[in-house]
Formats: sequence, C-alpha cells, structure tokens
Amino acid sequence: METVIAVENVGTVLGGHAIHRGLDLNVTRGEVVALIGGSGTGKSVLMREIIGLLRPQSGRIMLFGQSVWDATPDQVNALRRRFGVLFQDGALFSSLSVEDNVAAPLFEHTVLPRATCRQLARLKLALAGLPADVARKRPSELSGGMRKRVALARALALDPELLFLDEPTSGLDPISARAFDHLIRLLADSLGLTVFLITHDLDTLFSIIDRVIVLAAGRVLGSGTVDELKNIDDAWLRDYFAARSLGRESAHGN
Amino acid sequence: MAEARAHFDATEGALIASGDWHADAVGALPDLGGKTVRILDGAGIAQLDTNGAWLLLDAAGAQAELRGFQPRHLVLLQLVAKHAARTGVVPAPRREGAIELAGRGAVAIWGHVVGLLDFVGRLSIELAFLIGRPWHWRWREFGAQVRDVFVGAIPIVAGMLFLLGVVFAYLLGDQAVRYGANIFVVDGLLLAMLREVSPVIVAVLVAGRTGAAITAQIGTMKVNEEIDAIATLGLSPLAVLVIPRIVALLLALPLLVFIGDIAGMAGGMLVAKEQLDLSYRMFSDRMLDVINLKTLLVGLGKAPVFAVFIAMIACRMGMTVSRDARSVGEHTTSTVVQSLVAIIILNAAFAVTFVQLGI
Repeated sequence: METVIAVENVGTVLGGHAIHRGLDLNVTRGEVVALIGGSGTGKSVLMREIIGLLRPQSGRIMLFGQSVWDATPDQVNALRRRFGVLFQDGALFSSLSVEDNVAAPLFEHTVLPRATCRQLARLKLALAGLPADVARKRPSELSGGMRKRVALARALALDPELLFLDEPTSGLDPISARAFDHLIRLLADSLGLTVFLITHDLDTLFSIIDRVIVLAAGRVLGSGTVDELKNIDDAWLRDYFAARSLGRESAHGN
Repeated sequence: MAEARAHFDATEGALIASGDWHADAVGALPDLGGKTVRILDGAGIAQLDTNGAWLLLDAAGAQAELRGFQPRHLVLLQLVAKHAARTGVVPAPRREGAIELAGRGAVAIWGHVVGLLDFVGRLSIELAFLIGRPWHWRWREFGAQVRDVFVGAIPIVAGMLFLLGVVFAYLLGDQAVRYGANIFVVDGLLLAMLREVSPVIVAVLVAGRTGAAITAQIGTMKVNEEIDAIATLGLSPLAVLVIPRIVALLLALPLLVFIGDIAGMAGGMLVAKEQLDLSYRMFSDRMLDVINLKTLLVGLGKAPVFAVFIAMIACRMGMTVSRDARSVGEHTTSTVVQSLVAIIILNAAFAVTFVQLGI
C-alpha cells in the first residue's frame, strides 16, 4: 500500500523543552488512524508539523512522497490542496456565511464560477449531515456540534485524499460525538479518505479507528488495534483504558 | 494524471466523459446548448471525486441514465445525487433599498443613544456603591491604565500639536506680516491653540488611540468569556474594568491637553523666530501679556467632558461585543466613529454656551 504520511526521526524543541525525540510513524492510504497520548506529549505539535505550520528542528516529514519542509512554496500549496484540516474549535471565518466558509477553498483554488462553488459547498454541507437552511447563517448562530460539521464540510471542500482532525469530538455531547464519529467513518469509506485524527475520546477509538498510535516521552510507544495496545505494559496506557472500563462498570451498576 | 474530457454524442443523446474528474474539470464540459442528455457514459473515467461527480450530474440532469461507470464511481455518484437533492435552492437574500438602510441606520443610532443612557445608569449605581468604599477601588488597574493612556500618548500628542503649531503660526504669520502686525501672531496662536485646537485634536487622537484599544481589549475579553469569569468570581466587571479606565482617561486627557498646549506654542515660537523675526524672548513676553487663566481653563475644562464620553462609549461598545471576531472589529470602528461625533457635537455645544455666557 502507498504510504501517505511518513514521519522520520523528527525532533522538536519548543521553549527549551524537547517535545519529540526521534519520532517515526507511517500512515498508509485508506487507513483511519488515531493519535493518542497524555497532555503535553506533542500530539497537536506533531499535527502542525505534518500540515506545514510548524517546522521541526530535525528529521523529515513526507506527505504523498514529498518532503513538506524541503518543498518550494508552489509544491507546498499543491500539497495543501490534497489534504483537509479540521481544527479543534472549527476555526470558521466569522465574517463569512456558512456556505461561503465551505466554498472559500473552492473560490481560491479552482476556476469554477462562484455560483457553482456555492452549489458544491451546499453539497458538502449535506454530506456533513447539515440541513439546507444553515447555508446562509453565520457561524456564530450555530451550535458547537453544527460548527464542527461545517468545519468538516470545509475540510472536504476540495475533495482531499487525506483528512486531519484535531479532537473532532471534543466539546460535543455523547450523542453528537457518536454521530460525528459515524459520519467520519462513512465519509472515509465512501470517499476513500485517509484519516489522521487526534483524540482523547475512547468511544471514538473503539468504534471507528483502524489503528491507534500512542505517543509518550517524545516517541511512538506503540501502534496497533486497541486490543493489541492493551498488551503493552505502560502505566499511562493502563490508566487510560481503565478509565473506560470504570465508566462502563458504574454505568452497569446504575 | 489523465486530463478530463467530455463530448456529446448527438445520435444517442449521450454525454461521454473520460479522464480524471475534479473541480477543475469544469472547462472540459461541452456546451450542450439546451439538448437533453439521456445517457451519462463514464466508462473512460479514471478518477472521480464528489466535486467532479456533481459537475457531471449537474450537466447531465437528474433523468440521465448512468452507463459504464466503475462500481466505486457509481457509489460516489449515488451518494452525491442523494445529497444534492437535499440541498435545494436557497433563495438569495433580498437587497435593501436606500430607505430601508436609512431606517436601519436610524434605529441603530437610537439604540446607541438608549444604550449609552442605560450604561450611564448602571455606572452611576456602581459609583454610588464604590464612593464610600475606597478599598474596593482597583488602584493597580487604575495605575496601569494611567501609564497606557497618559504616558504612552505623550510622544504622539506632543509631536502632533508641535507640527500644528508650526502650521498655524506659519499661515497666521503670512497674513500678519503684510500689515506689520507680526507680534499679534502670538495672540492668535495662543487663543486658537489653548481654546480649540489642542483640546479637540488631543481628544480625537485619544479616541483613535485609546478608545479603540479599550473596545478591542474588553471585546476580546468578552469573546473569551473573561467578563463572565470576573462576574462569577463575585466581582463587578464595571468596577474592575470600566471605572478604572474612565477615571484614568478623566485624569489623563486634561494633562495631555496641557502638554499639547505647550507643544503647540513651542512650534509657533520656532516659526515666529524664523519667519517673523520675533525672538524667543519677545514671543514669551507677549505670551505672558496676553494669556489669561480663562483662555487656558476653557480649553482644559472641555477635556474631562470629552474624556468621559470617549471612555464610556469605548467601554460600552466593548461590553456589548457578541461572541465573534467580526463583532470586535465592528464595535471598535463604531467606538471611534461615535467618539468623534460626540467630540464634535460637544465642542459645538461648548462654543455656543461660552459665547452666550460671555466667556
């Protein structure tokens, strides 16, 4: 299978602290991969490095076989057309209507007439499970869950092959979070996307993820399915999975 | 990558597409000229994404039969067709005419007037509470504000008024020299600077510099829910944020006007020496002869009134920001506009009042 993301021996120092020490990971086409790890292990930093927002001090990051940090600006822009990013709080442009938010990448990167861009934006909003009447609203008029869906629609605007999601279900109620998980899986399967997501949500891990990568102490501690990870002897991982089984037991107790 | 191609086969009414169909493939669509597409043929399509699928479906129409597509492309087409049907057509918002815009503007202005009165009311209640409790005052915040508002503004105020003094003296001198009335430039400059130019220009500068900063700062705090956090801690946002700013500006603006007075006269003095052969000694002697306390106080007395209006407008606009970045920008703009309008109206009111009272 083709390797979509390759992180090779990356080292990052931020504010005098070593965040990553020789980190390696690979993601192949069509996978839905989750990155987990305790607070401060550099999950978001790693994602910002992969999408070309933050330069690592050492190592190499390849996207679609192209080194992100050695590419010319034109090559980087060509790369950016091939992936979509969902930021943690949506990062919708508050001065634009919902449909213009979603159409913005199309306005900038395609030769389509503006009316067609807006039609495509509405299609993406429908794919993200939003009703037609939100198109002309402002982002500030929407609930948190709807804003996430709009942000997902914007990430999908250019039909990327690769989707980055930073904590897609944080700040959502459990019902919306599960619906959002299933939407991601549905889109990944039907559009053939590769998905790389950061999450703290155990239910996401258990429901839609093909492979989990665990970050600890600046390296990849382990990678595999949830069941494989349970065999790794690590204090943080044990506590992490124990948190869920505790939750389950008390739920049954009621 | 194979280039997207499409052509229309008139004999069977088929739109035959091939290559990679992405958003940029729109140029490959043939001009159908109103002909009905009965069949959409995708046997030659190598890659298809949702944007490409929508373009093909939109060109072919909903009734066209799909032929020759690969199974995964067919799934995608069906997904797009299903969701495209749900999007519907959202009617464009109606454009508003001049009368509607004028009405909307009038309502907005009325809203600002009522809002400011309401704000004055709340502020009075808060002040009445604080007046006997000096330990509730935020002295530290007040000190920080005085530093930002006063000390930070000295260079721009002094520089601006110095240059205005230069310009005024130069233009006055140009006239006065024709009548041999060189020395009266001092009288004119003194009156203009102290009574009108310095108070108004300094107030305008402070409205643009400090007023905008106050609104942007309080507005961003509102966006970050910091104001709510202050209220939840049992503190009054008015006492913590608003009153120190108003008092700081109340203190700073008359001082800035006084600095502006001095800078303006200094600028005039320089020009008088170069252009009118008035020595510094003659200039200052004449200045001492003609200056009177009334002229100075009229100018300085306007400053606190301007200050209170600028600070109240800026704080109120900051507190009424709604929770997005666009609103912060709108409210900051509105603060500067409202402050300038207030300064000009107040200055006109002062001018008429002083004339009526014979001051």
